[in-house]
Amino acid sequence: MAAEAIIRALRDGALEGEHAPALTIEDSIHSPLSPSVFNHIIAHLFSNIFTSKSQPQGIVLVAFSRSPQFYAELLQSKANDVTSLNQWVRILDCHTDPMGWKTRLVKNGIIANPSVEIAAPVSLCENVKDLDKVFSSIVELGREFVKDKKGRFAVAIDSVSEILRHASTSSTASLLSNLRSHDQISCAVWSVHSDLHEKKTLSALEYMSSMVGIVEPISQTTTSQGSNYDNLPLMEQNFVRGKFSARFKRRNGRIRLMLEELHVEPTGIKFVPSSQDDLISQSLVPKVQFNLQLSEKERNDRAKVVLPFEHQGNGTPIQIYDGRKSLNESNRENKDYTVHKQTEDAGRGEITYFRDSDDEMPDSDEDPDDDLDI
Amino acid sequence: MSGLYSSPSHSLLEEALSFGEADDAVYLSSSRPKAALPSGGGGGGGGSGTVVLIEDCVETNGGFILHHLIKRALSPNRPSDVVVFVSFAHPFSHYDRILRKMGCNLSGHRENKRFIYHDMLSMNSPGSVRDGIEATDDLLMTLYGKIQKAVELYSSPEGSKHVTIMIDDISLMEVAVNGLSNHVVDFLHYCYSLTTQFGCSMIILNHEDIYSSLEQLSPLLHLEYLANVVIKAEPLATGLATDVHGQLTVFNKGICRRNGKSKSKIRNFQFRVKENKVEFFYPGSQT
Amino acid sequence: MAAIKSRTSSFSRNVSTVSKTNVPGLKHGPNGTTFLSSGIADLDKILGGGFSLGSLVMIMEDPEAPHHMLLLRNFMSQGLVHKQPLLYASPAKEPRGFLGTLPNPVTSRDEKSRERDAEQEKNLRIAWQYKKYFGEQNQESQKDEKAAEYCNDFDLRKPLDRQTLSGQNISCVSLQESSDLATLHDHCSKLLAQFPRHEGEIISAGRISIQSLCAPQCDYSDKEWHLLRFIRSLKSLLRYSNAVAVVTFPPSLLSPTVLKRWQHLADTLLSVKAVPDEDKELAKLLTGYQDMLGLLNVHKVARFNTQVLHHSDCTISSCFISWESSLSRKLVSYCQNWMMPLYLFCFFIFFHLIFLSFHAEM
Repeated sequence: MAAEAIIRALRDGALEGEHAPALTIEDSIHSPLSPSVFNHIIAHLFSNIFTSKSQPQGIVLVAFSRSPQFYAELLQSKANDVTSLNQWVRILDCHTDPMGWKTRLVKNGIIANPSVEIAAPVSLCENVKDLDKVFSSIVELGREFVKDKKGRFAVAIDSVSEILRHASTSSTASLLSNLRSHDQISCAVWSVHSDLHEKKTLSALEYMSSMVGIVEPISQTTTSQGSNYDNLPLMEQNFVRGKFSARFKRRNGRIRLMLEELHVEPTGIKFVPSSQDDLISQSLVPKVQFNLQLSEKERNDRAKVVLPFEHQGNGTPIQIYDGRKSLNESNRENKDYTVHKQTEDAGRGEITYFRDSDDEMPDSDEDPDDDLDI
Repeated sequence: MSGLYSSPSHSLLEEALSFGEADDAVYLSSSRPKAALPSGGGGGGGGSGTVVLIEDCVETNGGFILHHLIKRALSPNRPSDVVVFVSFAHPFSHYDRILRKMGCNLSGHRENKRFIYHDMLSMNSPGSVRDGIEATDDLLMTLYGKIQKAVELYSSPEGSKHVTIMIDDISLMEVAVNGLSNHVVDFLHYCYSLTTQFGCSMIILNHEDIYSSLEQLSPLLHLEYLANVVIKAEPLATGLATDVHGQLTVFNKGICRRNGKSKSKIRNFQFRVKENKVEFFYPGSQT
Repeated sequence: MAAIKSRTSSFSRNVSTVSKTNVPGLKHGPNGTTFLSSGIADLDKILGGGFSLGSLVMIMEDPEAPHHMLLLRNFMSQGLVHKQPLLYASPAKEPRGFLGTLPNPVTSRDEKSRERDAEQEKNLRIAWQYKKYFGEQNQESQKDEKAAEYCNDFDLRKPLDRQTLSGQNISCVSLQESSDLATLHDHCSKLLAQFPRHEGEIISAGRISIQSLCAPQCDYSDKEWHLLRFIRSLKSLLRYSNAVAVVTFPPSLLSPTVLKRWQHLADTLLSVKAVPDEDKELAKLLTGYQDMLGLLNVHKVARFNTQVLHHSDCTISSCFISWESSLSRKLVSYCQNWMMPLYLFCFFIFFHLIFLSFHAEM
């Protein structure tokens, strides 16, 4: 569901005057599945492009971590092995020679330059440090296959982590922002490894995107000590399964959260609905150990509680809500007893109740000074 | 089949390094099928297009894994396979003597151009920081050039000739370039592009405990992302023992092939290092 | 491939593979390596013969005690006795002054008095808990005479004879003088160039001794990568020459990641630690606690041309692992956490204290 929603959003592209939707895919070393997710998404996006069901008329792939050949083969399999992907794909090759070493070595006659047959047109980038050049190359490539002035294309960047190795956060962010605001770019996808960068950088990337998909390990393992025999099956699991949580910034200002599991299979990746129910409490409530939510029964019981000052003057013994009781013990409220309440607020004064000795309950966190007659 | 591969204690490491049962049989048999795919169709860690990262620590030296893999790569079953060895740590004589005891004649292989040894012990970036960065790049670029040249020369497009690049060790490479770890990652990335282009494989050694004290942004993580297989050598949790010298944990992430991704697995077993071989066994059992 | 004979004691193998050379001060080791003596007979035994030629020995100092100086002094004196050229570097302004504190070997004249005043030996001895299991003691006493050529006993009371010092190839470098390590590097390469390694008999060897390399008063001490490059360069030069370098440094002055890099760079890694004073628990655990001044840990031993762990420690630890591990845990608790002993055997440095003799003399 989440993956499909993402692909739909990408496929629908940008409205006039709007920034292009952009997806950040994050993972970490314990579940390094973002390449698989990336491949899945661009493959499906490409299917839509290929069958003309999408706003983008083509896709420009900026390849850093994987070779252009790999992506060409991946997309070709989606295009029913049509020989040439010329019409729909351009690849900016930042993988083969990012620093221009090979060009220089060839010039000095040290190495040969074998060309590899690739089904899609590839443009070589020899200096990934120059992000302006990268941007203009992307745009140039995209223009090659858009059919008219209003045509748009999609951009997919294999790994922003690689860009961040060569450029600062701000120049990377400005590249991404320029991509999003370009009128001919329909949508953008990029992946990043969260543990390679500072939190600030990750926040910057998330800020720049309209959708964030985070891959997390399916089982949390303590990895501080080398390997426990117990841990190994769990760690193995993390290579083939993961939790995928997607956040969508919607046009109406709301956020949509979706949680799924992904399974890596030999043929690709499969998204399945999450078997765990922890999506329910994805709210603004902070995550703490305590149960801060109330169930229906608890809410009713709370409504029945008489507040402390309400009984004064009546002379009738009434249950007093004891702030120290946890909500799980709410069913004990039915017992009749007065309990000792403490409010410690040194600045504003103390409310001390005299204990009813018959119903005295031994309570360890009591302030012994409460017995004082001040 | 050579006796080496049939010995049971080796099979633990072999199994951990393999990328799928069918390919194991292919790799271990004496003849290679002609239908081998260039984009990573080989078996075994060290098979086509794979990157193996060996991590060790002060207490447990991981050199023996490297020696074992050298011997494996130079096995007589595959006479046209070549090893390009970049050494920052030890001179040639050190490896020669060790491998000789293991039954592998490195000097002979060096003469026959099956073992190409690059001595980087005295390679150093220029001292001053000012011209350091460009000079560092040049240094690494030159080294890379030598490696690509060898790979071009000794690879074959159909995959019948396989080249393995080995680097011992990365932390010393970092010292040689004055701590510019990013440049070292660039260099490794270039070598990685060779694995995709020529189907060669890469085996690198680094020291895990150097980076473990860095809270985050450890350069070692880049390597771990790059690697298909990570082999960690650690001491036993219980301390030193005569019969067991430590434990190995192999994280095999699998490789992507045309017919799909191979299964990932994690294996943990113990080892004992001897003059002529290494024995691998599960705790409590000895072969 | 040598057949592995069954052996009763670890040291029988040690003895058979170690043979003398024609050159005094050098000894052949296994796997084509050659040893020179550290100047302390017991330490040589523990290390399997001595320091391997071409190895970089690093000693982690205890900033609260100068025990590393004892090791350095013995190392340097031994080299001078064998007429091996020496390079000494230290943070002091006048490093040459240190040479005056080097101990003199115990000569035959002294030996007679040694028998009389057995308690007043001023030798540096390393006693280790497993010594009583060392079955080669009979052979040892016979070999003592010959061993004395390779490794001398040094009398810490007496400074080195003037005539031993004079006419020797000794250079001293002050680490404070230079703002970077270029001078020291030049001196090292000059010395090492005298002993290139090549096929054939080794005629002589050299010694480099660098004290407190990362001492804070030196200009370069905060340039971590400069230091690392220097050490790596020294290590590389050493591998192609017939010399040994001993470098001491205080580990607490390095950041954890840099410290690990230094430890990995060392071929042989030792550390010394002061023993706490008036410690009742230690007194109960260790015999000879009163005479003990410090602890010496061997973390790593140079493994050239072999992948096998140093044979002696394997066998020792197997015999005594239960006792040793409880002992070592006790001791580790006194050590700072940056020290993770690889081989969990601990040695005790004690020497019959100077004040004993002063007491007797007064």
